[in-house]
Amino acid sequence: MTQKYRAAPQDDLIWHPLDSMTLLFHRPSGITHMLADPAPAILEVMADLPLTAAEIAVRLTAAFDLDPNPETETIIRARLAELSDLGLVARVPV
Amino acid sequence: MQAMHQILLKIGPAAFRIASAWRQPLEQLEALYRDYPAPPDGLVDFTVRLEPGKPWRRHVRPSVHIGGDFWLPDAAPLPLSQGLLAGEMGMNLQMALGWRRHLLLHASSVEKDGQALVMTGLSGSGKSTLSAMLAERGWRFMGDEFALLSLDTGDIVPFPRLISLKNKAIEAMQKVAPADRFGPEMTGTPKGGIRHLVPPRTAIDRMNESAKPALLLFPRFGHASALRDMGQSEIFVRLTQASTNYVALGEAGFLALVRFVERVPAKAMDYQSIEQAEELIESLWSKLP
Repeated sequence: MTQKYRAAPQDDLIWHPLDSMTLLFHRPSGITHMLADPAPAILEVMADLPLTAAEIAVRLTAAFDLDPNPETETIIRARLAELSDLGLVARVPV
Repeated sequence: MQAMHQILLKIGPAAFRIASAWRQPLEQLEALYRDYPAPPDGLVDFTVRLEPGKPWRRHVRPSVHIGGDFWLPDAAPLPLSQGLLAGEMGMNLQMALGWRRHLLLHASSVEKDGQALVMTGLSGSGKSTLSAMLAERGWRFMGDEFALLSLDTGDIVPFPRLISLKNKAIEAMQKVAPADRFGPEMTGTPKGGIRHLVPPRTAIDRMNESAKPALLLFPRFGHASALRDMGQSEIFVRLTQASTNYVALGEAGFLALVRFVERVPAKAMDYQSIEQAEELIESLWSKLP
């Protein structure tokens, strides 16, 4: 799968960590999102780059010092689909 | 069209014009709001209109339709004997749907030592009765329906409307507050028996004095006395549900609410009597920094 994703621009978002969740206020829509791990981490490592799920998995593994896990990419792809539905990531046209 | 009667009221930061096709609800409002100031220069934020749904309903089985700047299309009219309640509901409606200067929380609030206790919960949680009772026991009453959270300072701004007592709370308050502060008893309203109570005079005199929120409680009446810690995520979600204008305020509302959740300690409080609740509240209050 070579589908690439791009996160919403950082200037559009206000982050606020709470105890177990992360609040994300999306300025263009005015919607407050409450995200559980690993969704905030995915958005964080995406920065403003167009990335595939595999590339995000590599970045996450490095950023959070995780052991490589073949399921990581599947989990990321599922979260990306959800974040895409919320308008927090966009599929980059191939 | 026949002329409307009207009165002007200033309650905390909000000024209202209540216009009515009938004199009776306004006379009752005037009597209960007798100690409140008039809006300066006669300028108002909202107009509430109490008028017949159909012209003949002015005289024949008169029924009061609540109109105004903001209104709900499916709100059922009330009989004229409940016109006072219609006026109060109309003011609530304007605030809930139209106020943008503060984050509105469906909560009661009282003040002591310059700090505010905010109590929020569903209808029946006892937040209104608790605020009314505490106001007779050394606390300053700030509001029983809406707590106004300042978008700039994070303070709670008073909105000390008439206290809306329901069912058993009426009897409980009659034991501690003088008779001349009670409005007429209304039975068979959509919320059962209702009687309005004028807040203590100091609440009215000091209705422009804000207070820093120091404690947030989620009271729940009818369960064995207990205090429970709550996670910030749960608190945040419940406060967005308790706010009528969180979405409308956008980023300003988000920032104000985040600051409130960060700064104000919160507990869920179960109780079975006012005495129990007061004991729990005083114990929490005495431990505040």
